[in-house]
Amino acid sequence: MRDLCRHAVDAAVASGAGYADARAITRRAQDVSTKNRQVETVSDAESAGIGVRVLVDGAWGFACDRRLTDDGARDAALRAAAFARASASRGGKRRVELAPAPARQGEYQTPGHRDPIDVPLAEKIEVCLRAEEAMSHRDVEITEASVRAQREERAFASSEGADIFQKFYECGGGISSLAIADGRVQTRSYPSSHGGSSAQAGWEYIESLGLDGEGPRVAEEAAALLRAAPCPAGVTTIVLDSEQMELQVHESVGHPTELDRVYGTEAAYAGTSFLKPEDLGSLRYGSDLMNITADPTTPQGLGTFAFDDEGVPAARQPIVEAGVLRGFLGSRETSAVLGTSTGGSMRADGWSRMPLVRMTNLHLEAGEGSFEDLLADVDDGIYLATNKSWSIDDKRLNFQFGTEIAWEIKRGKLGRMLRDATYTGVTPVFWGSLDALAGPDEWRMQGLTNCGKGQPGQHAHVSHGAPPARFRDVQVGVRS
Amino acid sequence: MSESERALDVAERARRAASGDEIDALVHLERSGFARFAGSTVHQPTLIEDESVTIRVVRDGRVGASSTNRTDDDGLRAAAKRAGEAADNAPADPAFPGLPPAAEAPAVEGFDEETAALAPEEQAARAWTAIEAAPRHGLYGYFTSGATDIAVASSTGIAASQSMTDATVRALAASDGESGYAEATSWRAGELDPAAVASEAAEKAIRTRDAAAFEAAVCRAVLEPYAFAELLWYFAFSSLGALSLLEGRSYLAERIGERCFDPSFTLRDDGRDARGLPKAFDFEGVPKEPVTLVEDGVVRDVVWDRRTAARAGRESTGHALAAPAQAHGPLPFNLVVEPGDADVDELVERVDDGIYVTRLHYLNIVDPREGLITGMTRDGTFRIEKGRVTRPLVNLRFTTSFPALVERLLGLSSDVKLVNLSDFYDERYPYASLVPAVATETFTIVGSGSGPGL
Repeated sequence: MRDLCRHAVDAAVASGAGYADARAITRRAQDVSTKNRQVETVSDAESAGIGVRVLVDGAWGFACDRRLTDDGARDAALRAAAFARASASRGGKRRVELAPAPARQGEYQTPGHRDPIDVPLAEKIEVCLRAEEAMSHRDVEITEASVRAQREERAFASSEGADIFQKFYECGGGISSLAIADGRVQTRSYPSSHGGSSAQAGWEYIESLGLDGEGPRVAEEAAALLRAAPCPAGVTTIVLDSEQMELQVHESVGHPTELDRVYGTEAAYAGTSFLKPEDLGSLRYGSDLMNITADPTTPQGLGTFAFDDEGVPAARQPIVEAGVLRGFLGSRETSAVLGTSTGGSMRADGWSRMPLVRMTNLHLEAGEGSFEDLLADVDDGIYLATNKSWSIDDKRLNFQFGTEIAWEIKRGKLGRMLRDATYTGVTPVFWGSLDALAGPDEWRMQGLTNCGKGQPGQHAHVSHGAPPARFRDVQVGVRS
Repeated sequence: MSESERALDVAERARRAASGDEIDALVHLERSGFARFAGSTVHQPTLIEDESVTIRVVRDGRVGASSTNRTDDDGLRAAAKRAGEAADNAPADPAFPGLPPAAEAPAVEGFDEETAALAPEEQAARAWTAIEAAPRHGLYGYFTSGATDIAVASSTGIAASQSMTDATVRALAASDGESGYAEATSWRAGELDPAAVASEAAEKAIRTRDAAAFEAAVCRAVLEPYAFAELLWYFAFSSLGALSLLEGRSYLAERIGERCFDPSFTLRDDGRDARGLPKAFDFEGVPKEPVTLVEDGVVRDVVWDRRTAARAGRESTGHALAAPAQAHGPLPFNLVVEPGDADVDELVERVDDGIYVTRLHYLNIVDPREGLITGMTRDGTFRIEKGRVTRPLVNLRFTTSFPALVERLLGLSSDVKLVNLSDFYDERYPYASLVPAVATETFTIVGSGSGPGL
């Protein structure tokens, strides 16, 4: 694969590219899901190919080929160069420059004890069925369980001499119970909604989730939600669990700090950002308690690597420190425009997509104290847990998020259960109302595989860690 | 050998490489170009060529699937072996209805030689045509065209293939404080006018400067086809498939046969309609049947795949997804809303006092059983006062019930527009809805966001 990448790069340069890089990728992915104790899906997919990105006369071109052969590599390179030349043919307002980056050579492999692909399908099915069995409940209509496993090899070479090989393992899983009665539908899931949580890890990660152990609670809560009161509307104090905080970080900090959005590249689809380049170092993002870090070195993070898809080494960097914007997520191209070193966040969804600025692992750092300490200072409020719905505007300011479950907080203690809870806010105002974070013992990290962006669309796999957190004066209970 | 014949040949070879009681193979070929632009520069041009095959094997009632994009004999044999292993490891599936029998797929349009042959240089040139038509703004969007071939071969005798083409130009004209949007889609690239689309976006953008706030309210509204198509698609995703109906998650559960919507609202799914992006059969090779979903406001049906149909004692309508996505249940990829009798100005007059919405952003389903959807307006939101569009508004957050929106319609436009709803994730499978603009009595605004523009 490394030889093919070098071959593609050479072909691109020979056809006039001023810069070229190539990614040869093989991916094997297995999905197993069960529903109401019947197997729904047993699939085993593989995909392989090479993608070549070139700069010709300051304009990008990208082409790919599924053939991992010399012919495939060369054809992709030549097509990429021709497309770049056509794209540059009428000029344009910008000529792409890349910030300097040393050409790296290296290898990396996800640490792990048991390659999740090598775990027999029968064992994966058994994990799901056992977890479903644990969700047996007379009021639950639908139970579901799923596990996934992935193995990916990525070779990278550039015309500047980079030569990198990385091998990643991923696995994940989740369970959910759906209770339906009297025209109401209520869901509970674990360890997170939307298919569960994934990690870059061996199969031991799945075992650590304890899906069957959480089954009875998940089912009981789904059933109880049918009888719960609706979340009242009003402005109040809220406490969010770590999973909802991860979604909050993703949508209201991760995406707006992506420099391609800041510079408008995503304007037509994913949107832009309320942030401007000149906000770096001065913009008040939130309260003093807010510390956000991008860390592609986090163990088990889905955004963990040794080198990004431009060959830039992984590096931890602050994004928000004590409530002030300190960093952006970027690429060599955006770094050249910004004039600072904030590359290292370029990622491509497989061999047939051009790398984009993406989140890696983005964390909200812990505070101190326990979850109970967060509640203790709330006389009247609401605790919301597990994301259910999410929407945010194209500049990442106005958001409305809903959770699967909520509870009243009365005089520092959790009270009755509430259903259909939503809250809404405006990003810097909301983060400005952050007044407490639980400590490291309450910090959790989860990985999601459905972050969409780009045209043609790309899915990114990213992780977020966060503790439960408390916010004052938040609008809750928004429904039509 | 044509691409369609080649796709079927790969499917047949894949089927023959596998062993089992029943076998089917689905082949997907893609040749596409994406001239994506931003800030009036072609910025992320992407050429894709891929072909993949998904093999499904049934052994003693056990079902397993595998896929690969290695379509030489070795690659197909390896994939067939993995599909067999997947089946062997699975427990028997008592709800599996068996593979569908052979049936003749309808002849549909949807393939254009000129579009299939469009070279990358021409794709880039059409992007530039759009860019140069909006000189006052930065232009953001893309021109894309592609050819997709789908083939299904099965041990039950299915040997179906279809070649389809699609082309779309999307344009956001934007600057600080201004943004407007337009798009056009067809399976004939020659029918698209990139300059006209860019001009429409730019003219809309100019009208959005100095946008004003708007208080949260349940209000009347005109929704352009771009906005209405996206809302409809989210409702379709949660409520118009048979699985969500059978499981009681759909708004339509227990409402089949009831008048739930305005008498002027008629909704079909029709893969044979040449005005859309036609589809002859689904991912199991079952011919696409036109389905009347809502007729004169009365809920008539949902779309079915073979599995849900067997559960309900029905016949599949040809709306199965590909494995492993079949677990989501069937979906309607060719929605058609019957037009009304008004032009857009008349719709605005009928609203009298309300808002005008061009496009939506980041929708999500809040409550599927209620058809409750949240999202933002963007790139052309205006106030309607005294029957006229008067001034621009900031982007507004809505959390609105789709059924309530179409329960009391003030009118539908006589013109319909094909709105592309595929964002081209994974393999290319273009789909679009053919919809009019609508005027509604009920659109629920719950908050305000940022203003238009970058």
